[in-house]
Amino acid sequence: MEDEEMEKKVQQYLHRKGFRLTELALQEERNRLSTTSLSDVSLSRSDNDPARYYDGYNKLRTWAYNSLDQYKHELLRVLYPVFIHCFMDLVAEGHTQEARSFFHTFREDHELMHSRDLQKLEGILSPLHLEEMDLARSLRENKFRIKLCEYSYELLLQYLQKTQALVMLGIINERIIFEVSAGQPSLISDDADVVALVGTSKDLAKQINQKEVHWGLLEDSVEERMEKALSDSDKTEAESKDADAEDNNKARNSLIKKSSEGGKQGGPLKKLKKDKVVGATGKNNKSEASMVSAAPRVKPELTLPATPVEVEQSILEDLRNRAQLNNLALPSVSFYTFLNTHNGLNCSSISNDGSLVVGGFSDSSVKVWDMAKIGQPAKTSSSQGENGSSQGEHLSSTSEGKRPYTLFQGHSGPVYSAAFSPFGDFLLSSSSDSTIRLWSTKLNANLVCYKGHNYPVWDVQFSPVGHYFASASHDRTARIWSMDKIQPLRIMAGHLADVDCVQWHVNCNYIATGSSDKTVRLWDVQTGECIRMFIGHRSMVLSLAMSPDGRYMASGDEDGTIMMWDLSTGRCVSPLAGHNSCVWSLAFSCEGALLASGSADCTVKLWDVASSTKALKMDDTKAGSTNRLRLLKALPTKSTPVYNLRFSRRNLLFATGALSLGS
Amino acid sequence: MSIVPKETIEVIAQSVGIPTLPADVSAALAPDVEYRLREIMQEAIKCMRHAKRTVLTADDVDSALSLRNVEPVYGFASGDPLRFKRAVGHKDLFYIDDREVDFKEIIEAPLPKAPLDTAVVAHWLAIEGVQPAIPENPPIDAISAPTENIRTEHVKDDGLPVDIKLPVKHILSRELQMYFDKIVELTMSRSSTPVFREALVSLSKDSGLHPLVPYFSYFIADEVTRSLADLPVLFALMRVVQSLLRNPHVHIEPYLHQLMPSMITCIVAKRLGHRLSDNHWELRDFSANLVASVCRKYGHAYHNLQIRLTKTLINAFLDPHKALTQHYGAVQGISALGTSAVRLLLLPNLEPYMQLLDPELQLEKQTNEMKRKEAWRVYGALLCAAGKCLYERLKLFPGLLSASTQPLLRSNKRVATNNPNKRKSSTDLSASQPPLKKMASDVSMSSMSSAATMAGNMPGSVDGFSAQLPNPSMMQASSSGQMADGIAAAGLIRRDHGGNHHAQMVSAVLRQAWKEDQDAGHLLASLHDVFGEAIFSFIQPPEISFFL
Repeated sequence: MEDEEMEKKVQQYLHRKGFRLTELALQEERNRLSTTSLSDVSLSRSDNDPARYYDGYNKLRTWAYNSLDQYKHELLRVLYPVFIHCFMDLVAEGHTQEARSFFHTFREDHELMHSRDLQKLEGILSPLHLEEMDLARSLRENKFRIKLCEYSYELLLQYLQKTQALVMLGIINERIIFEVSAGQPSLISDDADVVALVGTSKDLAKQINQKEVHWGLLEDSVEERMEKALSDSDKTEAESKDADAEDNNKARNSLIKKSSEGGKQGGPLKKLKKDKVVGATGKNNKSEASMVSAAPRVKPELTLPATPVEVEQSILEDLRNRAQLNNLALPSVSFYTFLNTHNGLNCSSISNDGSLVVGGFSDSSVKVWDMAKIGQPAKTSSSQGENGSSQGEHLSSTSEGKRPYTLFQGHSGPVYSAAFSPFGDFLLSSSSDSTIRLWSTKLNANLVCYKGHNYPVWDVQFSPVGHYFASASHDRTARIWSMDKIQPLRIMAGHLADVDCVQWHVNCNYIATGSSDKTVRLWDVQTGECIRMFIGHRSMVLSLAMSPDGRYMASGDEDGTIMMWDLSTGRCVSPLAGHNSCVWSLAFSCEGALLASGSADCTVKLWDVASSTKALKMDDTKAGSTNRLRLLKALPTKSTPVYNLRFSRRNLLFATGALSLGS
Repeated sequence: MSIVPKETIEVIAQSVGIPTLPADVSAALAPDVEYRLREIMQEAIKCMRHAKRTVLTADDVDSALSLRNVEPVYGFASGDPLRFKRAVGHKDLFYIDDREVDFKEIIEAPLPKAPLDTAVVAHWLAIEGVQPAIPENPPIDAISAPTENIRTEHVKDDGLPVDIKLPVKHILSRELQMYFDKIVELTMSRSSTPVFREALVSLSKDSGLHPLVPYFSYFIADEVTRSLADLPVLFALMRVVQSLLRNPHVHIEPYLHQLMPSMITCIVAKRLGHRLSDNHWELRDFSANLVASVCRKYGHAYHNLQIRLTKTLINAFLDPHKALTQHYGAVQGISALGTSAVRLLLLPNLEPYMQLLDPELQLEKQTNEMKRKEAWRVYGALLCAAGKCLYERLKLFPGLLSASTQPLLRSNKRVATNNPNKRKSSTDLSASQPPLKKMASDVSMSSMSSAATMAGNMPGSVDGFSAQLPNPSMMQASSSGQMADGIAAAGLIRRDHGGNHHAQMVSAVLRQAWKEDQDAGHLLASLHDVFGEAIFSFIQPPEISFFL
């Protein structure tokens, strides 16, 4: 057809640009390829010959590696899907031996990007396994979507037609959808986004991510009332409240318009209009609280429990005494070390005020320590302003001859997660016996046993207001429960593998789940639908955290990568910063300026969130620009992997870990 | 085709009672077995991650099996990861070392201690972003001097807002103050208690002691000058120095200049301790080793450290007006610095010094019992240093030794012509056991002083030496003790040879000793002239045969 024309164009292009050598190389290559392919095609035409995959792939590979530098990385992207489908086709046709050797010959090329998938796929040896393994099945059922620029696409088509590589053409037609974009090829740095499409259909993800998310904070929260009280006392200007609110709304609208370029601001706007009187935000407010207060307000979709008055009082007190953190004022970190755990500690958690610490053990026990009784009185209150000499002495406090902790027994399998209610009076634990138990820290007794999951429950988390909680399980579902019902209220199904961690959004309308299928999903609690899908992690997601303004989410994975996501756009804000080993825990500081991460590499790291998100707001015009999280401080521990992190309401950071010697 | 060969399947089939499995069945099963294995491992890794571990244990595999409703494999439950051993002769075959345990032993063994219960302790990992230097935190990098710090801060200021906090000056926390007071008290008054030993361990291990180092170095320097007469205190102080030097978290370099004089004092002081019975020799040895370790550790950073040290020592050694105790310290100090220091500094001066020392050694000329004993100490130290040097030499150049047999023999012959007396005794020695005894009795008869005791001691101690031959370091350790007798005996033999007729030649050889190409044979011959047979105890048996 217009091949000739095309070729001419290419040559003209190269000529014009002065790529003399490339031009020659291209010509030479074309000649060579056309001749070899002709002879090959005639030779191996026998339809069921397993060698055709090998030959076809090998040639495609050499071609891709010899292609023009500028387009090479785009063309190389095509190789991975072709490679795994060649392999699976071979297996499906029963050529196990050939499949193996094919796999081993070429696996090195993809080792860097896809090593975990390759490890899984390596085990496939019979057509039966293809049916059985989730990864293989989802690969077979879904199509890869690859972004290419116009020219690379044409190069590829040209190659396939010229060489009559029918096998390759078949695979590419069947398994890959090309997203051809005009203009220059994309940058190499975007690769993660382009290639990391595995096991999930991008169509679905895209469709899901079109839905709107109201990421704002709850109306009428305690914080807000606090702010209002502050500002009321501060200003004595007798402006009309309406005008003020109007101003605020305008300011906020413009801000949102600027920030969420994806056109998803419809929701927040609508909500904003419903907003009646919001506390004093914007210009006349203190700058430090701006991040939280700038967020829009939403109505709760769940009926929320009322906060007891005295609890509210204490929260207000805490808020008044909160230490302001930013990239110059770093938090104090109080570290709770578990000793003599004999490798049995599976999880730990800290209550909101840091006074209670719980550990879940592999011998099915749950133990709660009251830190106030262990000779660390008033840990949370007076500690911030003081210097190093306030380091408390360690009394072993076993003087009464009794256990220094409260032992909760009831589970019949390793306890994988434990969480305190926001006010510290309840405790949830989940175990491999597929139950969740509710304990009262006041009565020291088991109150309820929630049965519903069919497999081990990996994670359980209380909602920010208490009463509701979410669980994540090996049975690939996440469930929403309320304390007063023994059946789950919602079941979130959709992940393709275990749901490993769960986290509530600050406004309680959403939960986020991280899974072994390497995705993070956001679910609407009311409808139980998946409304966001975040693709980008390369291994199992282990930890999640929500920013206090409800706009961002951080997720950490098995490889030590931490990613920040914008909930409204579903994009990654700052990728691939991180640790050397599993990120067990993440926590945002109370104003959202800092992110703390704890890892198996025995460090707590503090990241500067404020500057990276601010920078994002500045240059919104460049959509693809992503900047890494800035590491502010790495705090190494003494051979103690960090299991859990939590900022108290006064911005003191608590961390827990089990001392592991001899490793 | 799969990593599980079909032979394995056949073996497993046999073990579960299927004697003959058709080949095609095992071939079909093999890939499936591999797949199931991988599946279980995948689940086990999930369990491992959720137990917040990075090492897979048998328990994880068990939970993975129970996830799949498969009976777990019993008998492998243990908290620790299993230890695999490599099978001898196979590159990638491993097995678990499963020893047979005698049932009776287990029953009779005392009950093991109950494991400690889980506990939680709290500490500050950071205070406003700065990690306090407490033992619970990992050691921070050595704190650089404040001045430097300020300078670097100014440099960095132009870029990003990097916040460097100046090290807090002159603030010693209450805990550290108490710690310091406690250590001082222990050192001064209770240095023999087990508590002091604990304190030393803490000094050598704890991080966060750095702020105390200036205080310690001042305390040590001060106290050494003040309590020269109090041997236990001096010893305790030196132990404190040793512990501080060992502590990896302490940045002691800037304070070495303060500590070194105290240590050297403890080596070459004229009098240490106020009683005659005080074993100050031991303190000198200890301090000498300490100083040598400092030189080894910090010598590369301070070029003139060793030079200054050796200058001090050699001055003490070469000054005939200094007391014998000081000479002893100097010799020990130099020999602790290594054999090259001995070759370079001691050996060239050995001959004249021996002439000086000689009268002190002899009963007739030195009537003061104390002085004579001291002289013998010095003699022993010299012998030890020279002997170790020789030993090292022989070890370093075994080829040189065999090549030098020819000239050696010649030199031996020359020695023989000069000194028939010595010739005789060396042949005696070469004829091993019986002649050796004979020689011993010879010696005991010819020597008049303390003949009765010596006669009993001699053969035993000489035998002891030859038994210890390959291990001169051990001998050095015992140099202050029972060896003195042996040395005395050897010295007696030496005096049998009569005057040093060829002193000139010997000292020439010794003066050349530092040269690397000087062969060991000459060295040995000259040393033999100085020390007599005692030197042979530093040569390994097969090498002796070369010389004799």
